[in-house]
Amino acid sequence: QIDYTGTDPSSPCNKCLNVSWDSTPPCTCTINFTLEHSFESNVFMYYGLSNFYQNHRRYVKSRDDSQLNGDNSSLLNPSKECEPYRTNEDKPIAPCGAIANSMFNDTLELYRIDNDTRIPITLIKKGIAWWTDKNVKFRNPTGDGNNLTALFQGTTKPVNWPKPVYMLDSEPDNNGFINEDFIVWMRTAALPTFRKLYRLIERKDNLQPTLQAGKYSLEIAYNYPVHSFDGRKRMILSTISWMGGKNPFLGIAYITVGSICFFLGVVLLIIHHKYGNRNTSADIPN
Amino acid sequence: FFRALCLCHTVQVKDDDSVDGLKKNQLSRRSCIYISSSPDEVALVEGIQRLGYTYLRLKDNFMEILNQENNRFELLEVLSFDSVRRRMSVIVKSSTGDIFLFCKGADSSIFPRVKEGKIDQIRSRVERNAVEGLRTLCVAYKKLTAEEYSNAQKLLQNAKLALQDREKKLAEVYEKIERDFILLGATAVEDRLQEKAADTIEALQKAGIKVWVLTGDKMETAAATCYACKLFRRNTQILELTTKKIEEQSLHDVLFDLSKTVLRHSGSLTRDTFSGLSTDMQDYGLIIDGAALSLIMKPRQDGSSSNYRELFLEICRNCSAVLCCRMAPLQKAQIVKLIKLSKEHPITLAIGDGANDVSMILEAHVGIGIIGKEGRQAARNSDYAIPKFKHLKKMLLVHGHFYYVRISELVQYFFYKNVCFIFPQFLYQFFCGFSQQTLYDTAYLTLYNISFTSLPILLYGLMEQHVSADTLKREPSLYRDVAKNALLRWRAFIYWTFLGVFDAVVFFFGAYFLFENTIVTSNGQMFGNWTFGTLVFTVLVFTVTLKLALDTHYWTWINHFMIWGSLVFYIIFSLLWGGIIWPFLNYQRMYYVFMQMLSSGPAWLGIILLITVSLLPDVLKKVLCRQLWPTATERIQNASRHCQEHISEFTPLACLKSPRYRSSDCSSSPARRSNSHSKKMMFTHWRGVDYSVLPSVFGYSNKHCRSSAGYHYSGSGLETSV
Repeated sequence: QIDYTGTDPSSPCNKCLNVSWDSTPPCTCTINFTLEHSFESNVFMYYGLSNFYQNHRRYVKSRDDSQLNGDNSSLLNPSKECEPYRTNEDKPIAPCGAIANSMFNDTLELYRIDNDTRIPITLIKKGIAWWTDKNVKFRNPTGDGNNLTALFQGTTKPVNWPKPVYMLDSEPDNNGFINEDFIVWMRTAALPTFRKLYRLIERKDNLQPTLQAGKYSLEIAYNYPVHSFDGRKRMILSTISWMGGKNPFLGIAYITVGSICFFLGVVLLIIHHKYGNRNTSADIPN
Repeated sequence: FFRALCLCHTVQVKDDDSVDGLKKNQLSRRSCIYISSSPDEVALVEGIQRLGYTYLRLKDNFMEILNQENNRFELLEVLSFDSVRRRMSVIVKSSTGDIFLFCKGADSSIFPRVKEGKIDQIRSRVERNAVEGLRTLCVAYKKLTAEEYSNAQKLLQNAKLALQDREKKLAEVYEKIERDFILLGATAVEDRLQEKAADTIEALQKAGIKVWVLTGDKMETAAATCYACKLFRRNTQILELTTKKIEEQSLHDVLFDLSKTVLRHSGSLTRDTFSGLSTDMQDYGLIIDGAALSLIMKPRQDGSSSNYRELFLEICRNCSAVLCCRMAPLQKAQIVKLIKLSKEHPITLAIGDGANDVSMILEAHVGIGIIGKEGRQAARNSDYAIPKFKHLKKMLLVHGHFYYVRISELVQYFFYKNVCFIFPQFLYQFFCGFSQQTLYDTAYLTLYNISFTSLPILLYGLMEQHVSADTLKREPSLYRDVAKNALLRWRAFIYWTFLGVFDAVVFFFGAYFLFENTIVTSNGQMFGNWTFGTLVFTVLVFTVTLKLALDTHYWTWINHFMIWGSLVFYIIFSLLWGGIIWPFLNYQRMYYVFMQMLSSGPAWLGIILLITVSLLPDVLKKVLCRQLWPTATERIQNASRHCQEHISEFTPLACLKSPRYRSSDCSSSPARRSNSHSKKMMFTHWRGVDYSVLPSVFGYSNKHCRSSAGYHYSGSGLETSV
């Protein structure tokens, strides 16, 4: 887990701290870190935000699901819930709403440092959103032709985005509304400190660990300003088992509750034996 | 005498000739039935019929009597019965032209107006009848001259047509007319006790319900009746607060004497242990007169009447039974009101069968009328009507007990489940910037109270039987466990609320720590806020339903169906709700959320863990309290769980000798729990031919007793032992 907000003056990202969302060229910074142990099997890369209330009520309702589902009438006439991010200069915004508007747009790249050579690590951007989200819930607007630009005619990009929605990715099945980064962002997090899946690092083969122990460097295109609301950003690398990521709570809770139950069982057995027998002695007076 | 009895009544004759099948009066050779509002009158007329004087009918204002010859009497006036002057009269003119005034009434209202006749003989006869428990009436007559009669008629006419104060004027006229009688004789009617009345009263007293008898009869009659129905037992000391005693001493002295007598023995007992059957040395019964009561209730100038009332109530509180005789109907209502407003504000129930009980039935908290021979007046004015007095036992001890337990659990459970429901929402606000973001989807919010959690508790409130009905009837003392609103007191409410808050905290923070900054899926994808809320909601629904399942004692197929069915319905609803993009919704936030949540291992483990942890304190409390401090109800439940059938109870003969126990043998009695009981019982379980002895359910424990009171087995209830 690497925090790269850059509030500390010694951090390399300090210079990007007060960058605004539309500055060109984007501010970049590099953080070097070391992995103590190698990571086996698939590794997942997350970005995490703190003090970011994605669960605020006004924020949560500010979206138009029918527009995101590809409904053409909603494309040009987004719902009122999206206010004030509904229209911009009299043109409807696609995708509308505050959730879409605040999409995370930092770019993170990972390099392995191996004796002064930087080896880029392949990051896979497919498979990070829920399958049902990508294939059912979020659909691009229908029409003839594969040209998304034409399909989105008549709408404009959200206010704080650098590029319009049909230019999010060059691949056609990750462009437009079905862009996976976009879908991941649109699923509002439950708590103010959250993480979202950014990229996957796939396992190469069974012999080598996916990420060997050693030095790595993280290159960040720092576009997303969080300092104004005292938020923090970080990057997390994690392996996953069938039970999810590192989660001590469940284990500790089970052990605690189990031992309490065991202890209570013993205590109640003693009480039952002692007081239950009280009723079994027949009190017949003489 | 016979003529008087034959004429002075308001009985109507009904001819029996249109009854299909058997004629009702097969035994008597006459084919007529007498009906009247008072069964006493019917009894008298039928009795006279057996002696040869038959009352035939009232035709054209002529009453016909069949004696050796047919006589016809012209009915001139009827001065009807009222409960204040307690007599009635008729003025008749015989076929020979003589005008007679026949009067029939209570002895206390006839004797003062009599000027000749065998007064002393009849008076002693009346008293002897009363002591035997018979209802007595006296009969007298007067011969009127024509002039006297026309005067009386004129006065009566004026009074009847008066526009103002008609009652008062009528009373005055009656007073003037009914004077200077010649005493004829006295009658006695046996009013048999209804079947099982004694059993019912004993059961009510064992249940901790104080039983008072309010009657209009004479003191001796009423006292004999009370002994017959076991309101007073053989060793009950009777205290009297009657007119006789008040004439000897002043009211003040009498009250103080009585209060000293009762309070002397009850000083060491805690107040709220027993209100009925008491195990202390002596139990008292109080007899009070209607006149004495009016003296007590009369407001005095110096304001000391409230003291008298307080003193009177104090005496009554320490008596196991109170008999109020010679009560006018309004006085009956007065006494009920007095009790209602007394210090502990008890809940009062009045039960009666005649028109003179109506005011008392209306006054009490619960009024019950018995549909009986005296007509339906009482039943019409009551809250509940039952056909016989013995039904009161089952009504109170079984049905009343059941309904109370059901209702109190319903109320507590509703508050509990809603606290569990809303408190996580409240806690969530701390983590969403206080922006009122809901934790659960709106469909869940709406349907929680309507479909997911409503049917099980509805069924509980209709069908729960925490102890079987037979056991409740057999053990009236179980009623004490719910006395004084025990299940809805502050303590019980706070326990339920604490449980609700604890559960809500467990749900929310359990899910919070599960989700905080971790991934719980096996493919690395993350959950959003709706999944979080759905997890909390799932745990919530399962927990509150399982809590109800833990509280249910009486499982039938329909309980199983409702409880498990509600849970299954919740799951199916969630699957359907999130399974389709519903076109009518303008948001699709719940799409596939439930299924995704179920596909994550830690979510399952978390659900199971959180359900267990939330139910743990309640289970713990139940088990501990049952083992360490069981109430009588719980003991019975334990006993009946071990042996489903064939439990009979014996009182060992050895304990009939009422030995005296010193303080080291009794159990301490903090209010309700671990009550000591006066009857020592043993339960035996019949297993085929042999029998085995079960542990004594109500036995004395060998616990150390802290109070210095001595207990001993009183001889009460001996009649029911083997």
